[in-house]
Amino acid sequence: MIALAVFAKDLRLHARDARFLATLALFSLSLVLILSVAFGPLFRDPAREASATLWAALFFAGVLGLTRSLDFESEAGGGEALRLTGADPFSVYVGKAAAGFVLMAALCAVLLPCASVFYDVGSLEVLPQAAGVAALALIGYAAWGTLFAALARGAKARELLLSILLFPTLIPLWIGAVKLTRALWADGSIDAVRDWVKIMVVVDLLGIALAAWLYETIQESEG
Amino acid sequence: MMTKLRIGLWTVALLMIGASLWFVVGAPVEAQMGIVQKISYIHIPSATMTLLAFALTFAASIAYLATRAWIWDAVAASACEVGMVFATIVLVSGPLWARSAWNTWWTWEPRLTTFLILWVLYGGYHIVRSSVAESSKRTISSVLGIVLFVNLPIVWKSVEWWRGSLHPRSVTMTGDMRATLTFSMMAWLLFFAVVLWERLRLEVLQNAAETAVREDYAGEAGKAARREGVAR
Repeated sequence: MIALAVFAKDLRLHARDARFLATLALFSLSLVLILSVAFGPLFRDPAREASATLWAALFFAGVLGLTRSLDFESEAGGGEALRLTGADPFSVYVGKAAAGFVLMAALCAVLLPCASVFYDVGSLEVLPQAAGVAALALIGYAAWGTLFAALARGAKARELLLSILLFPTLIPLWIGAVKLTRALWADGSIDAVRDWVKIMVVVDLLGIALAAWLYETIQESEG
Repeated sequence: MMTKLRIGLWTVALLMIGASLWFVVGAPVEAQMGIVQKISYIHIPSATMTLLAFALTFAASIAYLATRAWIWDAVAASACEVGMVFATIVLVSGPLWARSAWNTWWTWEPRLTTFLILWVLYGGYHIVRSSVAESSKRTISSVLGIVLFVNLPIVWKSVEWWRGSLHPRSVTMTGDMRATLTFSMMAWLLFFAVVLWERLRLEVLQNAAETAVREDYAGEAGKAARREGVAR
């Protein structure tokens, strides 16, 4: 219930800030454009280049989303008020991670067709599987991202710190997402790289398990 | 007493490092790789010390969260710093060897890639530690010391989990080469322990100085408050 309330609160705050959402969408689209121009105009392996572009843009833009969700906590004492309610810290984490996931999923829904059109890859038939791959990658991103964002909350230059910690940790997730998306766009199936699904599930679960163990400690340290 | 012990340990550690380098010079030259193989007598112990240091950071971080005794945080931070130095030695000595053995300075093979990720992440540990507020520094560092440990088994097992690894799954040496590696490992282990102790000593001194300043400040503030009370 608490998780749902935090989730709804974060989403409401995101939805109210149309300027930020537009900036996020334009920033990620610019990344897709820059990488498309860098790889093109004659693509050697369009499926590979498109999937690399898509996930690079999503991961970089995601840091902006995570930082914005941190601002919700520091603005007008929101985080302090949340702590004073005595809400279960893990429920707060789940709510925030779920809101982060929805934000990233919305961004993915914009970028996926763009990458597909710019590189002329993919088809509607593989869309359900592509959505599954995206869900796996974005759950891990939101799980680890929310944990690291909480760690970097009180630090100076937190956006930079978040990138330093998050990107290297998520490399297995990033490789998995790129390989699976490429396989879907090139071969129409993930059979050849199915092992990466298991690796991504492990990374996702590990992030959630660590947060379940340590999120409360992080929150206490700020009290 | 402690000073004598410190000097004694430093002397033994440096003598052992010197002796290990002497043994490395005298060790047989490997038939295929030639003299470049001798880098492994520094590379392998450094890699082992790196993993040991980061494992110590993990254990001390858990101990800090369990006991809230500041000394465990000091152990974690010191081990992490020393580990970074050894990790840097690994990342420098590796390409020197790779250039001759694999004909390239760097290749994106699993062990190299995961080790570089490890280096970046533990570098991030120090940046976070120096960036967060003093009041939450120890807790945040400990949480990070635990979270980052996830990467250690990945580095360790990367040669088994991913295909295309150029690193061997295990190092097999015999005779003089094996003895040289064993002695190097012991020398580097002692050196690691001495450097860690020295780094920890600095943390202890720093903590004592900070405590003294705080107490001094509190004492001065108390005196000022009393003077103000008397004046009223």
